This record gives sequence, C-alpha cells and structure tokens, in this order.
Amino acid sequence: MTLIAHAIAAAPPASLSAGGLRGRPLAWSEAAAGLGLWSTEWTPDLKLERPDALEHHRLVERICAAQPCLPVRFGTTFASVDAARASLDKRAEALHAALARVGGKSEIALTLLWREPPAAGVTPLAAGPGRRYMEARRAEFGARETRRARAEYLVERFIAELAIERPLVWHETCTSTNVAVSLAVLTPTERADERKAEMVRIAEGFSDVVAVVNGPWPPYTFASTG
Amino acid sequence: MKELTAEDASLLELVDRLLNKGVVLAGEATISVAGIDLIYLGLNVVLTAVETLEKSEKRRAS
Repeated sequence: MTLIAHAIAAAPPASLSAGGLRGRPLAWSEAAAGLGLWSTEWTPDLKLERPDALEHHRLVERICAAQPCLPVRFGTTFASVDAARASLDKRAEALHAALARVGGKSEIALTLLWREPPAAGVTPLAAGPGRRYMEARRAEFGARETRRARAEYLVERFIAELAIERPLVWHETCTSTNVAVSLAVLTPTERADERKAEMVRIAEGFSDVVAVVNGPWPPYTFASTG
Repeated sequence: MKELTAEDASLLELVDRLLNKGVVLAGEATISVAGIDLIYLGLNVVLTAVETLEKSEKRRAS
C-alpha cells in the first residue's frame, strides 16, 4: 500500500475523522521515536492531480487544528508503512526539534504587489541604436536595483513596526516583476487573527504597494529541518 | 507588465508553499507515485496559476 504523506505529529495521534485525499482512508503510521505520520492510503495506479494539492492543504489544516504538527511537502510518497516509519526514525532528532519550534503555531503570509510598473528610462531621440540600447539596459538595471532597495526597506520597516524577532520572519524580495515582497510570519495559532490584523494595518501604510495578507496557514515555511 | 490580482497572488503563495516548503522526507524511502508524474503535477499546478492570470487578464481586456 502506498502512502501520500501529509503531516508529522507526536504520538499519540489526535482523533480525526477518517477521510483523506479523495475520501480514501487517512492513516496514522507510528514510528519508534514517538513520532507518527498522517497520510492517505493510496494506490500506485492513481495519479495525483491538481485538486489533490489543495485537498492536501485542507487536510494539513485539519491535522494542525487537532494537534501540533509539521506539514510535509506535497507529493511525498512512501511505498509502505515500514518505509514511512524508517524515514521518520532516521531523522527523529531533527523532526522533534522542528516540531518543538513550530508545533501549535501558524504562519501568516504577506505579499506586497507593486502598484505601478517600473519607470521607463528616457533616451535622447538623436542617439544612435547602440547608445539607445545601452541606455535602455542601464535604465532597466537602475530601475531594478531601485526597486530591490525599496523592497528591502519595506521589509525592514515592516519587521520594525511589527516588533517581531527575526527568526520568526521569512522573506524574499522582487520574486517577479509584480511582487515586491513575499513574507511569512510565524505566530502562536491562538494569536494568529490578532497578528494578521496588525500585519494588514502596517502594510496598508505603504503607499506604493498593494498588500495581500493570507492565512493563518499551517507553518509550511518554517517546518524545514535544515 | 501583467497585473497580478490579490486572488492570483494568494493562489501563487499557497501553491509555492505546498510544492516548495514543508518537511522534505527525501531519501531512498521516498518514491514518487509514478516517477515523472509528480514533476508533471508540479508543472500542472503552476500552469493552473498561470491560466488564472491569463483569464483575469482577458476579463480586464474585454
């Protein structure tokens, strides 16, 4: 029997209703290290499809609401219960540490989108094609660097105003033409709504970006075991 | 520049987390359902997000 992994939790398992992906059985595989894996019983002939990714997200949310857990990257599959147990046992120490760090916590995602496209440079009409090309390249590079600096400034201001410790924040800047900042904050689940409202208030103070705040989500970004 | 709506950004952020974040239980114990199908799935999900972008752009244009 194949297993599609969803989340790792400490034993004993919480009481959860039986439905996994596509209504298939949700299984608990307990490892020797006091950890266990929540997964869906699967068959190798079944292909994972687009809706399964979002269903995995809803399952992880359900598991995290029932007990502290570590979300597993979507698409992780084990050939058998024994293979799942062996994988957990092999990394038990790191998994316990990660669980202690993020268990009972949620992440809130903040995306800052630029309101305007980057400013285009002005090249003198009389310039030759070579110079126009070089001027355009220089203007493009300059605009990109200006935006990156602005995005980093926004992150610094946001962290300062939120008054949060840096290990509880993850961020990337300028991940695409539209995105200025992609950021995640780790927060105790019981304080997540309060924290989210605070994040919205701070981000709305930035005039050149549109803020999109999502979550609380399971702590995907902070679950890494390094 | 393609305009990214709040809805598009939310979907992309979530998909990024599902496919790129979370605990990685790699190693010999981990297999894929059907080898390349998992890679295909990744592209498919990203394509879904791209399709959403294209659709919202068409809606704005019409």
